Amino acid sequence: MAKEMIAMLLAGGQGSRLYALTQKLAKPAVPFGGKYRIIDFPLSNCVNSGIDTVGILTQYQPLVLNEYIGNGQPWDLDRLHGGVHVLPPYQQASGSDWYKGTANAIYQNISFIERYNPQYVIILSGDQICKQDYSDFLRFHKEKGAEFSVAVMEVPWDEASRFGLMVADENDKITEFQEKPKNPKSNLASMGIYIFNWDILKKYLIEDEADPNSENDFGNNIIPNLLRDGRSMYAYHFSGYWKDVGTISSLWEANMEVLDPEHSGINLFDDDWKIYSRNSGMTGHKITGSGRVENSMITDGCRISGEVKHSILFAGVQVEEGARVEDAVVMGGSVIKAGAVVEHCIIAENVVVGENAVVGAMPADGEKGVATVGPGIYVGDNAKIGPNAMVKENVKGGEVQW
Amino acid sequence: MVNSNANAMGILFPNSYDNMVPDLVTERLMASIPFAGRYRMVDFVLSSMVNCGIDNISILVRQNYHSLMDHLGSGREWDLTRKNGGLTIFPPYAEKAVKIYHGRIEALASILNFLKAQREKYVILSDTNIAVNFDFEDLLQKHIESGADVTAAYKKEKLPDAMLRAEGAAKGFYYTVDTDESGRVTNILINPKETDEQNLLMNIYVLDREFLIRTIEKAFMEGFVYFERDILARNLDRIHVQAYEFTGYLARISGLRSYFDENMKLLKDENLDGLFEPNPIYTKIRDDNPTRYINGATAKDVLVADGCVIEGDVENCVLFRGVKIGKGAKVKNCVLMQDTIIEEGAELDHVITDKGVVITEGKKMVGTDTYPSFVAKNKRV
Repeated sequence: MAKEMIAMLLAGGQGSRLYALTQKLAKPAVPFGGKYRIIDFPLSNCVNSGIDTVGILTQYQPLVLNEYIGNGQPWDLDRLHGGVHVLPPYQQASGSDWYKGTANAIYQNISFIERYNPQYVIILSGDQICKQDYSDFLRFHKEKGAEFSVAVMEVPWDEASRFGLMVADENDKITEFQEKPKNPKSNLASMGIYIFNWDILKKYLIEDEADPNSENDFGNNIIPNLLRDGRSMYAYHFSGYWKDVGTISSLWEANMEVLDPEHSGINLFDDDWKIYSRNSGMTGHKITGSGRVENSMITDGCRISGEVKHSILFAGVQVEEGARVEDAVVMGGSVIKAGAVVEHCIIAENVVVGENAVVGAMPADGEKGVATVGPGIYVGDNAKIGPNAMVKENVKGGEVQW
Repeated sequence: MVNSNANAMGILFPNSYDNMVPDLVTERLMASIPFAGRYRMVDFVLSSMVNCGIDNISILVRQNYHSLMDHLGSGREWDLTRKNGGLTIFPPYAEKAVKIYHGRIEALASILNFLKAQREKYVILSDTNIAVNFDFEDLLQKHIESGADVTAAYKKEKLPDAMLRAEGAAKGFYYTVDTDESGRVTNILINPKETDEQNLLMNIYVLDREFLIRTIEKAFMEGFVYFERDILARNLDRIHVQAYEFTGYLARISGLRSYFDENMKLLKDENLDGLFEPNPIYTKIRDDNPTRYINGATAKDVLVADGCVIEGDVENCVLFRGVKIGKGAKVKNCVLMQDTIIEEGAELDHVITDKGVVITEGKKMVGTDTYPSFVAKNKRV
């Protein structure tokens, strides 16, 4: 049975600007918002939009991601025909290759796509926090009679030169593409989400693969080639919440924005557009008599006897008596021991912050670094981690790191 | 065969002791009563069985079981969606000659053919009125070691008030046992009224499947109804019943007040750990977001599930999934089941709200520690 549209999710990125957080973890598997991982957003968007076939292209540190996706059941993607499939690079009769670029990753899986004989293919990126109805995007694509459409966001003009920009006419028809230009002619930034007619995509993938000088990248090669040939290309305006969480500060910021859905635009409390995730299975969280929680998100399994202010606590975090957590993102299973102070920082999974240790600092004197402690790290008693630190090794008791 | 599974199947009786909590079972049964923030009573025994490698579990429902079927679905959350075994729900089998059953004997008699077709050597029977993290593996091993016909789990505890105060068998039967030095049961007392610590049966039994089939077949023919009263208690000389003492934590629901107290007890870490360790308890997933505490909220001594939004003051409470507490609301000593909404400025003390209750703006409700107020499902106050 043919599918109208299937999704291909690019999840192979290393996420090197997340440093300690992605040393052993693919970027799409980075935890977000108390009980999610980044990939929950595009996956939930697919399901909520009616897409039931998703190929996930993985390459870098895929173990956690593979286990997390499993058979796709938490997203209702365990289907008889279709469902979710993790697609790592594989060996073929003619040899094997890593995915050389985003376009090459799709190229290597042409046979996967052909199994479903789709009319359209949507290319998604696994490193964005965004709630988007892809069915509305497809409606636009069909209405315009497009062969290629790209989702774009209006960005402030003074920031436009940081993005790949689409120059479009009054009918949203794309006339030009500028990759991080010095003199932007448009403020429509590409979100890296594309809908292709499958026959067109396939043709250009094969052509691109045959070009030895190509980087096999959608932005650098495929899109310019489509433009060159005068294909029917349109820009679909998206105005909801969208955040690329590729850096420590943007990841921290996006988490903090979850705490203010009324103003920031990311609302996880939306029954009509649920974000699904694999469940921790822990019991409810507990706040004891000495615990204080203010303006925070707390997940199942947490035990709080200390003070938590404007923070996001993932499943199973413990905050002991006398400890203080503020403006912090504390990921699953971490323990903040008695008297420790954790401020304006990201603590990864299964970290122990020892008694009276200090991690991070509130912004002062133009200094607004987000201290980051990698997964499984032990920060010894009385240690001090400065606001710009990136901790990848255990820290001895009393040690100071900046 | 690789020995990763227990050689035992489980049978649960989800309607047992419904009579003790009439308020809570108007639209459900004992097994689907919400408990401990995000669970239903059935989750505890069911998960314990699964954690001990029992993957063939039958549930003999009697009445009011829609909520339970909705909760259990295909059994996937308990890893019971299996090709062989898995979860089987047996609704009452309507036949001209068969009335709805009362006791275990009648219930089991209705599934004799099913029992005969199973392969496991042992059967474990259990009610669902006790929330417990039970080690069925140990029970089974002790049963095999003792060579008994039946092994019955008990806990040394005082009889719950509701049982002591019940007239005759109005609230159902409960049993205490006397044992000899070897742990063999010498006497089973039916609905005793002693006020000191007793060996109170948990109604968890393990026995040989073929022995069970033979015994039930015979007892049913002879018109018997209750397994403990009619089979065990009067044949202790012929049937070797061994007692197995359970010393861990359990929460036994024997009335509305006990329901309230058992929820509240979980605010103590040692009790919460006793119930949820060492093995996980599974339940139906709702995909709620984490709980949000908005500016101005205060929370002290609370057990809170995911999906809540708290703007008011909460103290000494158990909040189930999706509870909303409005600005300025003060909620103390309460058990609020899933999706309860407490509007702005409302004040509650010693109240249990069932699922989906709305307490409207500014209303005040006060119960007492011995008599908590109860608001029925989906009611608006």
